[in-house]
Amino acid sequence: MKTRILGFVALAAVAAMTAIALFVVPADLNQGDAQRIMYPHVASAWLAYLSFGVTAVSGILWLWKRDLRWDALAVSGAEIGVMFTAFAIWGGMMWGRPVWGVYWQWEDPRLTTTALLLALYVGYLLFRRLTDDPERRATRAAIVGIVAAVDIPIVHFSVEWWRGLHQTATIASPDRVLNPAAPMIFVGTLLGMLGAFTLAWGYLMIRRYQLARAELAREEAVRIGRLEAVRRGVVRSEATR
Amino acid sequence: MPQTTIYVSPRSLGAPDQRPPSVATTDLARLFAGSPALAGVSLRVDAARTIALLGSNGAGKTTLLRLLATAIRPSYGRGEVDGLDLDRDVALVRERVAYLSHATGLYDDLTARENLRFAAAMLGTPDAEARVERALADVALVARAGDRVRDFSAGMRKRLALGRILLGRPSLVLLDEPYAALDADGMAIVDQLLAAWREAGVTILIASHATDRLAPYLDGTVVLERGVVAAVSGVGVASLPVGPAGATTRVAEATR
Amino acid sequence: MSALRAEARTALAIARKDAVAELRGRHATVSTLFFSAVVLLLFGFALGPDSARLAAAAPGLLWLAVVFAGLLAVNRLHLLETDDGALEQLALYPVSRRAIYAGKALGGLAVMLVLGLVVLGAVGILFAVDVASAWLPLLATVVLGAVGIAAVGTFYAGVTVRLRAREVMLPLLMLPVLAPLLLAAVKATAAALAGDPFGELGAWLQLLVAFDVIMIVAGAATYGYLLED
Repeated sequence: MKTRILGFVALAAVAAMTAIALFVVPADLNQGDAQRIMYPHVASAWLAYLSFGVTAVSGILWLWKRDLRWDALAVSGAEIGVMFTAFAIWGGMMWGRPVWGVYWQWEDPRLTTTALLLALYVGYLLFRRLTDDPERRATRAAIVGIVAAVDIPIVHFSVEWWRGLHQTATIASPDRVLNPAAPMIFVGTLLGMLGAFTLAWGYLMIRRYQLARAELAREEAVRIGRLEAVRRGVVRSEATR
Repeated sequence: MPQTTIYVSPRSLGAPDQRPPSVATTDLARLFAGSPALAGVSLRVDAARTIALLGSNGAGKTTLLRLLATAIRPSYGRGEVDGLDLDRDVALVRERVAYLSHATGLYDDLTARENLRFAAAMLGTPDAEARVERALADVALVARAGDRVRDFSAGMRKRLALGRILLGRPSLVLLDEPYAALDADGMAIVDQLLAAWREAGVTILIASHATDRLAPYLDGTVVLERGVVAAVSGVGVASLPVGPAGATTRVAEATR
Repeated sequence: MSALRAEARTALAIARKDAVAELRGRHATVSTLFFSAVVLLLFGFALGPDSARLAAAAPGLLWLAVVFAGLLAVNRLHLLETDDGALEQLALYPVSRRAIYAGKALGGLAVMLVLGLVVLGAVGILFAVDVASAWLPLLATVVLGAVGIAAVGTFYAGVTVRLRAREVMLPLLMLPVLAPLLLAAVKATAAALAGDPFGELGAWLQLLVAFDVIMIVAGAATYGYLLED
């Protein structure tokens, strides 16, 4: 039941940090209260990238070890990652509307990179659905996940440069909250939010992974059962799945 | 009848009883979408033997051949060809196994000759052009060698696929229904090939219903039923008892 | 070293086989070229008739046309292997998986190069852009872009060739991955046409090179796994 404790702790941490971000931390001088959404937004974005890393590395480990547990971890990372990516984009748009006046700003590298990340994730999950056989699916998903993950750093650089190689950022950017020169209370709140979200992420990942493992074990039991039945020469009609 | 010259893999040379078993499987199983096509086969086939694989449709003959050809990976269990593991030594296994499947794997838009030349390039056949011409002659396709495979009948495609096998240096030949779709001349070509391979010490595993026609060439037979070995007869082949299915669970196995 | 030569021979044999089959069979390359021309026409109708606006948009339109036509081109090269189990047979040959990837990608590259050059010329004519003045950097951009699309496209075409819903999965998977290439190629093209006023052409070309190298390595490393069944 350690997971349940983790869940409660994560919930408490997120609630606490939300309260701090909303009421305790002072508003940004220029951006006002809208800036507060940056705390969960940046935290979500970080966890979105982490999830994708988990998916890609798990894919490599499946190809190497051929243990389906790695594929269970890969799909968990992808699904949880989609959640955090979508939330990060939503947060970015909610911030953008009052600050920029528009929901979307093509010059903001984090927003565009995260949008591409979402496209890659969703493509990965849709691709998985097309294969029924667990080992084939795991292999195909692994290579798609690896190539997509390899693309992310290139996307990051290209979109950064896209903003203007020789121009300084003229638009208000969420990066301000990451500025090391920012007051400690901003940085502290951000780190606290990051920690709280990471706890929540960990909890969700564990739960999703457990679900995937249970599914694996069930499928495995069915497969073994069928093998045994055939070996004993028992006539059996295939159960519809 | 044209003379068939079979180029033998050097690994085939040497007294058969000094070579490792051509095929050795342990609890080999393969499922497709949860359904066992092969449910657990522990088989040993000695070198230089010709063994028939019998069984009704869906018994697992094609799946077993595809596993040994490394076209698919096992779901459970292990297999070895000439002592080489199907999983770990895939590249080495492919060098010495030739597989005739239901699908011919030929390119419709290429001519027969071009298909074989491509195969020779992939197989690394020495003296490729001459070997291709000889292979075409051996399967009686010289007259149509410059025609596109698209226009070929099923029997001609099959003969061309057999010709492709002649370009390699197999020590194990896997034939899935070699007589299917062939006319009398085509079947005679298969007979000649079987005789030549046997003489060269190549191990042959044939899935076929044509037991009468194969009888002069066979050393033994294996009967598969619903994915397991039901019976074994003759020499050069043995079936071992299969372990409990639970002992080879994917999750429990530490090393694969 | 001879192992590398053997791989090169394998790759060339595969590329040659694809070339013969393509030229002889399905005339896909010609159709793809015409498709790209139609796409450019549609762009003209969608964004025109103001020629100044079209000229400003020309780099983007060029690369969009190349990418969309490229989707068709890479798909066709793998469609060849659906002839009666040809892909499975290809996987059984004792050749390195990297060499198979290289062979398929070379074929894709040949088609993409032709496509890129044709579209470049067409854009010059249709959108009144002076491509001749900056032909060298434009050529470099087209070559680097073609390599990238071929590398990525060969991989994803291989991954989707045996799937149902392949027509939608190929673009769905491939286009997001191509986004940085598209971005960089368009920027490089625009910079080249404008005479590189900010000196950024080199940076964009470097990004393209990095993309190409990374994607070739990733594709070559993973292609073998999609041949498994």
